[in-house]
Amino acid sequence: MIIKVKKTALITLLTLTLVLYILPLYTAIVNAFKNYESIIKTPLALPMPPILDNFARAFREAQILSLYGNSIVITLMSLVVIMFLASSMAFVFARSKKKIYRVLYIVVLSGMMIPVQNILIPSIKTLQVLKLLGTLPGLIFFYCGTYMSIAVFLYTEFMRTVPVSLEESASIDGASPFRIFFQIIFPLLRSCTASVVIFLGMWIWNDFLPPMYILGASRGRTITTGIYRAIGTYTTDWSLVFACVILASAPIVILYLFLQKQFQSGITAGSVKQ
Amino acid sequence: MKKKFNWYNLAFLSPGFIIFTIFLIIPLLLSFYYSFTNWNGLSANVKFTGLTNFRFLLKEPMFLDSLRITLVITALTTLLLNAVGIVCAAVLNQEGSFYKTGRTLIFIPAILSPVVASFIWAYMTQTNGGIINTLLGAVNIAPVDFYRSADSMVRMVSGVISWAALGFYTTIYIANLKSIPGEIYEAADIDGAGRLRQFFSLTIPMLRPAIIINTITALIWGLKQFDFVRVMVPGHIQTVTIYAIERAFEYNMFGYSSAVVIVLLLLTLFVSLIQMTIMNRKEIDY
Repeated sequence: MIIKVKKTALITLLTLTLVLYILPLYTAIVNAFKNYESIIKTPLALPMPPILDNFARAFREAQILSLYGNSIVITLMSLVVIMFLASSMAFVFARSKKKIYRVLYIVVLSGMMIPVQNILIPSIKTLQVLKLLGTLPGLIFFYCGTYMSIAVFLYTEFMRTVPVSLEESASIDGASPFRIFFQIIFPLLRSCTASVVIFLGMWIWNDFLPPMYILGASRGRTITTGIYRAIGTYTTDWSLVFACVILASAPIVILYLFLQKQFQSGITAGSVKQ
Repeated sequence: MKKKFNWYNLAFLSPGFIIFTIFLIIPLLLSFYYSFTNWNGLSANVKFTGLTNFRFLLKEPMFLDSLRITLVITALTTLLLNAVGIVCAAVLNQEGSFYKTGRTLIFIPAILSPVVASFIWAYMTQTNGGIINTLLGAVNIAPVDFYRSADSMVRMVSGVISWAALGFYTTIYIANLKSIPGEIYEAADIDGAGRLRQFFSLTIPMLRPAIIINTITALIWGLKQFDFVRVMVPGHIQTVTIYAIERAFEYNMFGYSSAVVIVLLLLTLFVSLIQMTIMNRKEIDY
């Protein structure tokens, strides 16, 4: 009897959780294809027939295409720069046993403990001095600074598991350290690079606070700050809200559905060491 | 030969370290410096004011209120994410397409931008026409006004934050569950321990590593909250970050704002310190 009650309770809880997860996502998707009246009258009904006006409006009013452009440039450039700089730093940290490199490694790692807020406020000044405030490169360099630590950490720990014998034989054959790094080491880091790309890419794409203040109001926006500004003033315009919500999330959700395993392991690898 | 190799190390290290220095170390040092000044973000005229900012913020009711709200959000989300995360992990860590779909589904909010999740939930939680209240109405329950008071908004936002991050925490718990050897459960079965007893006496202790990591992550994440509160209840309640950002960018009090985020830094460092103490302690072996 008690076991039965417990089982019913567990099933109720499970159903409730599933509803809590399905319902908001379902609501966002179906209502993106409805006009304002049907969103208010029948919020849970399927869109019959589905309309695309909301998306047309989003492209026009929120200028989704230019937002996509900015976000793609910022995310890709940050990832490429972080990937190369962090992995080459990790090469030294993982292979050299000198004390100075150990100290430097700890200095770089301690960056992981610094909240982004502490960097953002003074960065307004440093970026201004460098004439980078309000520009895409400014935001890209900001991300390189804030996310370098975690990337260096993941690459270094991963590289320590890669055997040195390959490098040694290449070095005996007369290959320079640059060649060893780019032709032998870097390709071996593929799975670590995948983790770095996935979770940093997701963080940067979804980020909100730094782009809002580093890019500023007028000089280009990312997908998140762009839809926030487009929606912000009239939050009750739900047809526009849902179209923007879908457009901002579609690229990353589609990637996720295709690369589920890599996403889950990449994001866990990143967060565990946050 | 040895000296030559050192040059290579320098070549590998310096580009990354220079970027790290310019865009992290220097701003961080400036952050400490500005916290002792009256810098307004614009003028070059920065006056050293000693501890004035810190003395002021300790008596500022709005700061203290933002600190209280941040701590409540941190406590609520840490509790929810870990308690619900463990249960979800235990349930979803099973074979079969139903559980696989569940694992996929629960992770989707974790990859959405907080801005997106906030907009969706702003719609769901409306008092008039919100989905939650529509459904409650369908079973004859009076509508709930989630926006009726600051405390109510804090609870609602904590719920939404936990909704968004749960997949993340569940995934880490599932990874930990998979590392527990099945034999210990077989032994427990033979000893006649029931499922619930096994959960509390075996599973929970074996989840110690994930519990530590998830608690620390949730604490630090909670202290830094900005996006959800800013998008869902702008102007109603403030976290420390929102308070600091507003002082800096709307009131041009960059010096004071730097002092506020130093408090945030000290809080997160305190949590990290606890983490290191726990992690360095000898692991209990089962």
